Amino acid sequence: MNRIIRIDGHMVEPADSDLAETEPGVYSAIAGLSSWEAQVTANEITIGGYTFLVEFEDRRQWKRSGRAADAKGKASITAAMPGKIVRILVAVDDAVVAGQGIFVVEAMKMQNELKAPRDGRVAAIEVSENDSVVAGAVLAIIE
Amino acid sequence: MFAKVLIANRGEIALRIIRTLREMGIRSVAVYSDADRAALHVRKADEAAHIGASPSSESYLNIDRILDAARRHGATAIHPGYGFLSENARFAQACEDAGFTFIGPSAKSIALMGSKTEARRVAKAGGAPIVPGTESGLTSAADAVAFAREAGFPVMLKAVAGGGGKGMRRVDRMEDLAAAFDAASSEALRAFGNGTVYIEKLIENARHIEIQVLGDQHGNLVHLGERECSVQRRHQKVIEESPSSFVSRMPGMRERMGEAAIRAARAAGYYNAGTVEFLADQFGNFYFLEMNTRLQVEHPVTELVTGLDLVRLQLEIAAGERLPFTQDDIALRGAAIECRIYAEDPANNFFPSPGRIERLSEPSGPGVRLDSGIYPGWNVPLDYDPMLAKLIVWAGTRDQAIERMLRALGEYQVGGIRTNLPLFRLILNDPAFRRGDLHTGYLEELLKTPIDWNPPGPPELAAIAAQIAAWKMKEQTTAQAAPDAAKGSSWATSGREDLLR
Repeated sequence: MNRIIRIDGHMVEPADSDLAETEPGVYSAIAGLSSWEAQVTANEITIGGYTFLVEFEDRRQWKRSGRAADAKGKASITAAMPGKIVRILVAVDDAVVAGQGIFVVEAMKMQNELKAPRDGRVAAIEVSENDSVVAGAVLAIIE
Repeated sequence: MFAKVLIANRGEIALRIIRTLREMGIRSVAVYSDADRAALHVRKADEAAHIGASPSSESYLNIDRILDAARRHGATAIHPGYGFLSENARFAQACEDAGFTFIGPSAKSIALMGSKTEARRVAKAGGAPIVPGTESGLTSAADAVAFAREAGFPVMLKAVAGGGGKGMRRVDRMEDLAAAFDAASSEALRAFGNGTVYIEKLIENARHIEIQVLGDQHGNLVHLGERECSVQRRHQKVIEESPSSFVSRMPGMRERMGEAAIRAARAAGYYNAGTVEFLADQFGNFYFLEMNTRLQVEHPVTELVTGLDLVRLQLEIAAGERLPFTQDDIALRGAAIECRIYAEDPANNFFPSPGRIERLSEPSGPGVRLDSGIYPGWNVPLDYDPMLAKLIVWAGTRDQAIERMLRALGEYQVGGIRTNLPLFRLILNDPAFRRGDLHTGYLEELLKTPIDWNPPGPPELAAIAAQIAAWKMKEQTTAQAAPDAAKGSSWATSGREDLLR
């Protein structure tokens, strides 16, 4: 039961504001002289224009997928939604840097680049140009 | 006036048209695809017709299905909205042939202005300035030199068969022109199998400024001032405003642009609402770009500064009525700004972010207008443009409108999917935007510097977040320990569902 809460990856001592749930997912917090409204959606809490990522130590709940990639080991590039592979910008064995465009995919009538999550080498490309892909499909492996 | 109008569109624009129809006592017929069964425009219309599967080609672009729906529901007129079939001359003609009034210009005007080269010719014949350039391909570098000597530098060489930047060369000096001509020509030949290039004067740091025109079927044409749409990303407008702070600074420019727009529209035999787009240079020279033969996405900013309802006027014009005012009656008051809210993630290269809207807080209050097509629980479909809503504000001055927009953006929360809301805070706080120092490359430049889209919040707010998280965790454990205690509290139930998901 006594899990540790992390806010944006840090352990944070909870405030002792006067807290009320005003509507589902919306909290009013009166801290000292200040009145704040907080909105909670899944694993995020937005207060005063800032969004905080909430995590529990055991990571069973409120886990965020696709957050920062590991610095070493394999990282995969997956399709966030169904779409079509328009262009492949790299080849297997190419060295890539974080942020480098790997695929151009078309989804929702728009073409967008999928980028390398980190520096590395293209270990595998699992699709071809003009392939249609489903959400979650692994498109390439960077290691 | 029509008794029942079918809207051949979806989302926020369908709802916006439904609202005016209701104000006028006209029954509205929404159409919807499989993906849009639960869409807001279907919920809000008086009648609704299913027209096919989710892909637009099988629904919103299917002329036969739309005409069938209009027949089935006994509509007498069809409003096309924007996008989809709105600039399709064949659709406008098919409506008329089937006995429905098309709420827009004639099929002939649509066809005329739909061809870029024809539109350029019509505009020029009507006396509207066009970007100086050769009308057809150059036969040799000598032709290019002759043009550049006349027009001055910089110039742009462009492939006649062009696209995607291939076969395009910017040239700043006479001594580079011949080499650039050869390079552009051979690149065009390789890319398109056609090496013909033409030359145009390059409009540097151009602004995108457009004029709203309105004409009845009795030959009356007026303009409703300008909209500046220079804030663009990948040729998509992001923020629009009226009036343009630049046009307001240049004596007589609004009148000159308005007259040029009316001349172009008159030359096309135009009636109903339309927009003439121009590029304007830093000296206030402006050049015809193209004409949009429909209601524009950004029409609300014009509505707010003129006090007119463009959809109502479109309906009146389509019903054969005369314009209820002349040019002298049109005055622009105050300043209006529109932000286009998209389901896309600025932190991830503006990748589309469809999905379920889990939570929604919408802005309201003084001077705020929200034309939206979403609601909490709505699943933003993959099949269409990811625009969710348009947030429009009006205030007495541009500065106040910017402040008001920032206030309204602060009230706007969309949970469950990513939106481009943070982009607008960035732009509206940018000193160059505040000064009105804009051109069509402005936003790309602004986005060149790395941006932290989610800067760390102050510790006292992080502490409140931690307190709320602890509260939620306690709720959850309490609910697990004593399930009955949670009964009757929908909050606890939904909180638990959130956690178990």
